Amino acid sequence: MSLPRHRLTLRVNGEEQELLVESRRLLLDALRDDLGLTGTKRGCEEGVCGACTVLVDGRHVRSCLLLALQVRDRAVTTIEGLAGDGALHPIQAAFIRAGALQCGYCTPGFIMTTKALLDARAALTEAEVREALSGNICRCTGYAHIVEAILALTEDTKR
Amino acid sequence: MSAAAGRGKLTVVGQSLPMLGAHDKVSGRALYVSDLKLPHMLHAKILRSPYPHARIVHIDAERARRLRGVKVVLTGADTPRPIGAIGAHKDEHILAVDKVRHVGEEVVAVAAVDENTALDALELIRVDYEELPAVFDPEEALGPGAPAVHASGNLVREIRIDRGDVDAGFASAAVVHEATYQTQPQYHAPMEPTGAVATIDASGRLTVWAAVQSIHRNQLRLADALGLPTSRVRVIQPHMGGSFGGKLGEDSTHYIAARLALACGRPVRLLNTRLEDFLGVRARMAARIRLKMGVDPAGRITAKETWIHGDNGAYCGLSPEVILVIAARLDSLYRHRNVRTLARLVYTNNPPSGAFRGFGNPQMAFALESHLDVLAEQLGMDPLELRRRNSVQPGDTTIHGWSIGSCELSKCYEETAKRIGGPLRRRPRAPADGAPVAEGRRRGIGIAVAMHVSGARQAADWDGSNVVVKLTPDGRAVIICGEGDIGQGGPTALTQIAAETLGIPPDHVTVTPADTETTPFCFGPMASRLTLVAGNAVIKAAEGARRQLLSIAGQLLEASPEDLTIAGGAIHVVGAPDRRVTIAQACTAHIFRRDGEDIFARGTYDAPSVVADRKTYLGNVSAAYSFAVQAVEVEVDVETGVVRIIRIVAADDVGTPVNPRAVEGQIHGAIAQGVGYALFEGFALENGRLLNGNLADYPVATAASMPTPETVLVDGWEPNGPFGAKGGSEAPISPTAAAIANAIYDAVGVRITSLPITPDKILRALRERGGRRDA
Amino acid sequence: MRDFVFLEPRTMAEASGMLADHGDAARLLAGGTALVLLMRNRLASPSHVVYLGGVPDLDRIVIDDDGLRMGALATHAAIAAHPGIRARYPVIADTAGVVANPQIRNVATIGGNLCHGDPASDPPACLLALGARVRAVRGAAARDIALDDFFTDYYENALAPGEIVAEVFVPAPPPGARAAYTRFVTSAAESRPLVAVGVRLTLAGAACTEARIALGAVAPVPRRATRAETFLRGRTLTPDVVAEAASLAVADLDLVSDFRGSADYRRDVARVTVRRTLGRALGGAA
Repeated sequence: MSLPRHRLTLRVNGEEQELLVESRRLLLDALRDDLGLTGTKRGCEEGVCGACTVLVDGRHVRSCLLLALQVRDRAVTTIEGLAGDGALHPIQAAFIRAGALQCGYCTPGFIMTTKALLDARAALTEAEVREALSGNICRCTGYAHIVEAILALTEDTKR
Repeated sequence: MSAAAGRGKLTVVGQSLPMLGAHDKVSGRALYVSDLKLPHMLHAKILRSPYPHARIVHIDAERARRLRGVKVVLTGADTPRPIGAIGAHKDEHILAVDKVRHVGEEVVAVAAVDENTALDALELIRVDYEELPAVFDPEEALGPGAPAVHASGNLVREIRIDRGDVDAGFASAAVVHEATYQTQPQYHAPMEPTGAVATIDASGRLTVWAAVQSIHRNQLRLADALGLPTSRVRVIQPHMGGSFGGKLGEDSTHYIAARLALACGRPVRLLNTRLEDFLGVRARMAARIRLKMGVDPAGRITAKETWIHGDNGAYCGLSPEVILVIAARLDSLYRHRNVRTLARLVYTNNPPSGAFRGFGNPQMAFALESHLDVLAEQLGMDPLELRRRNSVQPGDTTIHGWSIGSCELSKCYEETAKRIGGPLRRRPRAPADGAPVAEGRRRGIGIAVAMHVSGARQAADWDGSNVVVKLTPDGRAVIICGEGDIGQGGPTALTQIAAETLGIPPDHVTVTPADTETTPFCFGPMASRLTLVAGNAVIKAAEGARRQLLSIAGQLLEASPEDLTIAGGAIHVVGAPDRRVTIAQACTAHIFRRDGEDIFARGTYDAPSVVADRKTYLGNVSAAYSFAVQAVEVEVDVETGVVRIIRIVAADDVGTPVNPRAVEGQIHGAIAQGVGYALFEGFALENGRLLNGNLADYPVATAASMPTPETVLVDGWEPNGPFGAKGGSEAPISPTAAAIANAIYDAVGVRITSLPITPDKILRALRERGGRRDA
Repeated sequence: MRDFVFLEPRTMAEASGMLADHGDAARLLAGGTALVLLMRNRLASPSHVVYLGGVPDLDRIVIDDDGLRMGALATHAAIAAHPGIRARYPVIADTAGVVANPQIRNVATIGGNLCHGDPASDPPACLLALGARVRAVRGAAARDIALDDFFTDYYENALAPGEIVAEVFVPAPPPGARAAYTRFVTSAAESRPLVAVGVRLTLAGAACTEARIALGAVAPVPRRATRAETFLRGRTLTPDVVAEAASLAVADLDLVSDFRGSADYRRDVARVTVRRTLGRALGGAA
C-alpha cells in the first residue's frame, strides 16, 4: 500500500533543505508541515484565492497546486523569508501603514504577489495593480487599502 | 457617561493606528487554527449526506474501523444529545440521527493518523439511505401534503406585526406600489475555512481551539451538547481568518472535533475543505419579500405591508433571529405610522441558513430601497428627496419603539449627493466622471440607505460586556477580555479607548487572546456591538485602574489624587511637573507594599436597551444605531447585460470613528461583499445540491472588479457610545445591492427584483421591454 | 489525493514508453495546475504520474518564416512575455496574458492547457482561429493534428495511447490577415470565459478572402463557425455583413447550459462577442 518516498532537495528562504516526501506531497504541505513554515495558507484549494502564493525562482505560484517534487532543486521564497529576523520588508511595512489587512489570512499571499509584481515592474497604474491582484482574494478589505499600499510602494521606487 | 469619555479633545481615539497583531500577520507568524499542531494529534474527516432528505437505514463502518491508521469512527448513535442555543430550537445533532435533512449533513466522523488515511476510511464506509420526498421552496413547504422536514412541522416561526391603521394608510396614499423581491443564499467565503483542534487532559477535561466568533457562547453549547459541566470545557480562539457571521459556531465542526477527542483520548484536528465550508456554514437566508407601500403627494410614506417567506433550510441556528430582523429592523429607518407584517420562517431541505454580516438587513434593504425608488419615480420625486422626507431624526421613537439617539442621516445624504452629483431623478445623463461611454453602454446612478444596531438585546436580557484592565509593573496595560478578534479590528479600538482613558500611549496597551479559562464572559463581536458595548466596559475598567494609579501615586508624592495628572508616561502634581513618579514606579509600588496587589480593575457595562416584547416586538433593542448611505454609478452593456461598477460613494454615521482607517476598511469590505451580493454571488442549488461549492464557480469580488469607494465618515457623536462611537461594520453592507439595482434601472430602465442581478436577467428584462437592439 | 509512482523521464521517447507501459493508469504531468486539482479531489487517481519537467527544451519557443512553434511546456506567462510573439503574434500573447490568473500563468503550460481540454479556457479558441496544430509524438513516430480535429469531447482529445503533445505550431499568417480574440466574462470577478471567440480575417482590399472564426466555452469543444466563415468569404465586411455572420456563427451551436449561463444567454452573448471580435479584427470598435 505505501509507495516509496522520494528524497527531495530544494532551497527554501536561502537555506538548503532535504526532505523525504510521498509523490503526492503538495509544496504547500511540505512547507507547512515538513518545514513548519505556516505563514503560507491553504485557502480555496482550487487555484483561485492565492493564500498559498510563494515564489519559485522568483515567480509567484500556487503552492496548493504544485507537487513538492516539481520544485526539486529550485529556490522557494515564503513570507517567512521576505525579511531578516525581526525586521520588516518595505512591502510588509507598507501593508501595515495602509491598513491593507484585517484578518490577515490572505495577507502573506498578497505580499508575495506584490513582491513578484514589484520585482518585475517598478511603475504601475492603479488598473495594472488591480489586474495583477486578480489571482488573490481578500474577503475583508475590499482591496482599496491593499491597492493603496502597493501604489505607495511604486511611488517609492520611482523616487 | 463619565467625564473621561466626554466630548473633550481626543488624542488616541480618532487616530488611524496600525491594527493590533498586524506585524505578526504580515510576517506569517499569526497562528490560525490550521497552523496548530499537538503531539500525537489525529486528523478528522467527515462523511456527509449525498441526499437532501433520507432515512438512514444502516451504517456499515467496520471496514473503515479496521483500516490501519484509523483510530475512531463515530456516527449519530454516538451523539444522541441535541445541539443548538440553550432555550432555542434544538433541532439537530452533532452527527445525523436517523435522518438526513440536507445535502452535506454530517453523518460519520473519522479520526486517523493523517488526512489521507481518514479520507481513505470514508471511502470504506457504506451508508444505506432510504430517500424521502424533499421540499426546497418555503411556500411549497407550507402547502398541504408537503414533506415534513421535521416532525414538528415546517413552520419554524411566524411573526405578525400590525401597527396603526394600514388600510386607512393605503386609502390616503397618492401612489401605491406592490412588488415581490427574491434574495439568494450568500456564502461568507472567509479566506480561512472553519476548523478546530480539540484535546483532553488526563482527567478528561476538554480544550478546543476553535475558529468561532464567540468563545463563551460556544463553551456553553459544547458543554450542553456533550453533557459536560461548563467548567470541563475550555474554548480558545486563535487568530481567525475572517468570519462575517459564518463562524458564530452554528456549524458542527468544533462539536465533531471535540466529540472525537473525547472518544479517542487524543488531540484531533478537523479542518474543513472549501466545499465543506460551503456546505457547513450557515449562509445568508434566502427570502421572498412581497412589499406594498403607499406614499402621499408630499412623498410621506402612508402605509407599508410586508409578507415574507424565509428559507430556513434544514436546521435552525440563528435563523429565527434573522427572520425577525428581516421583518422589522428597517422599519426604524423611516417615520412609519402604519405597518403590517407577516413573516414566516420555514424549514426546507436546502442547506441551513443563518447569520451573515447585516443579519437580515441586506435582504430587506434590497426590497425596501428598490421599492422606494419606484415610488419616487411614480411620484415624480427625486429618490433622495423621498428618503429625506421620511427618514428618522435624532430623538425619534420609531414605530417599533426604538429610541434614536444620534442620527446624522441628513449629513450622509448631503455628502453623498455632493460627491455623486445629484439630483438623482432619472434622465439622460453623461457619466459623472466625464469619461466617454462606448456605444452600447449606458451609465446610471442609484442610491440606497440602511441602518444597523450597535449591539442587540436578545432573549437572554443581557447585552453587556465584562473586562478587566490590569497594569503591569512596567506601567503597561493589558485588557483581559474575551470578546475576541475576528479580524475586523475590534480589539485595536479597545486599546485606543483604554489608552485615551488612562492617558498612556496606545502601544502600551495589549489585549489578551480570547480564552474562556482566563477571560470574563462575553458575547463576542456580533451585532456590531464590540466598539460600543465592550468599549464602554473598557472605559469603566480603565477609569478604575486610573483611580488606583492616582491613589498610589498620591501616597508616593504625598499629594491628593485629585491634584494629579498623567502625562508622558508619568504622574505628576498639576502645576508642579517635578513632583512626579513614573507609571512604572507607581505600578511596582502598588505591588510591593503590605497587602499589595496589581493595579487591576474590572469594568462592567450593560447597554441601556430592552428585550423587545415577545408578542408585539416593541422595544428599544440597542443602545445606538448606525446609518449608511451609498450611491453607485454603473455602466451597463445593453447587448450583454454586463454591469461594471464605475464609482461608489459611501457616507456613514458611525459616531466618532475610533480608528478612521479601520472603519474605512470595514466599509470597503462590506461594500465588496455587497457588490457580490448584488451582482454575482449566490448558491446554485439544484434539488438541494450545491452546484457551485468552490471559489471558481462561486466568484467573490476581486481587486479588478472593484473601484476604490469614496468614503465619508460624517461628523457625529453618539451619547451612549465610548467617546461618542458606535458600530460601523454592518450597516454599509446593506444598501449596496439596492443602490446597484437602482443604478441599473437608471441606466437602462429595467428593474430587476431578484438577486443576484446577473447579466442574463438584465438582458431578458431588456428584451421583454422591447428595448434591446439586435446584434 | 491517492499516492502514485512519480516517474521522471529525461527524453520524450522515455516518456512515451512509460505511458505505454501503464496505459490508462498513467497520467502525464506538465505544469500540474489542472491535474493536481483533479487528483486532490480524487476525480483522477492515476497509479503512475509521468512528469515532463525533466525533458530538456520542451518549453522552447521558436519563430521562423513558417510560423510559431511553442514547446508544450511553454507557460502562459512565457508566451505572454515573449518579445517575438508580442511583435508577430500579438493576439497569442494577449490571450496567454489573460488565462486564469497570474500565479496559474506562471506554471500552467500551453500543452497542458490544450490536452486538458477544459472548454472554459482561452487559448483553444484563439489558436483554433489561427489554424494551429499540435505535434504528437510517440517514440520515433510523430504526427500533426490540426486543432480542428484535436478536441473530441469534454476533457477528451484525439491523442492515441502513448502519444504526447510536444509542440504547438501556428502557421505564419497570410498577408493581409488580422486576428482578434475576446474572452467574455459576466463580471470582472470571473476567472474563466463564458464565451471565447477567436477570429482571423484575411483581407484583399475591402474584400474578405478568408475568415476563420472559432468559438470556445459555449459547447463541449471549441468549434469553427464554418457557415459564418463561408458567408464572409468574398464579401466586403460592412457592419451588416459582420452582424449577419455573427448570427450565422451561433445559429447551429450545440450550446452548454449550466449555472454559469443558460444556453439562450450564451447564444446571445456569443453572437454579440463574434460581432465585436470581427469588428476589433477589422480595427473598428463595433
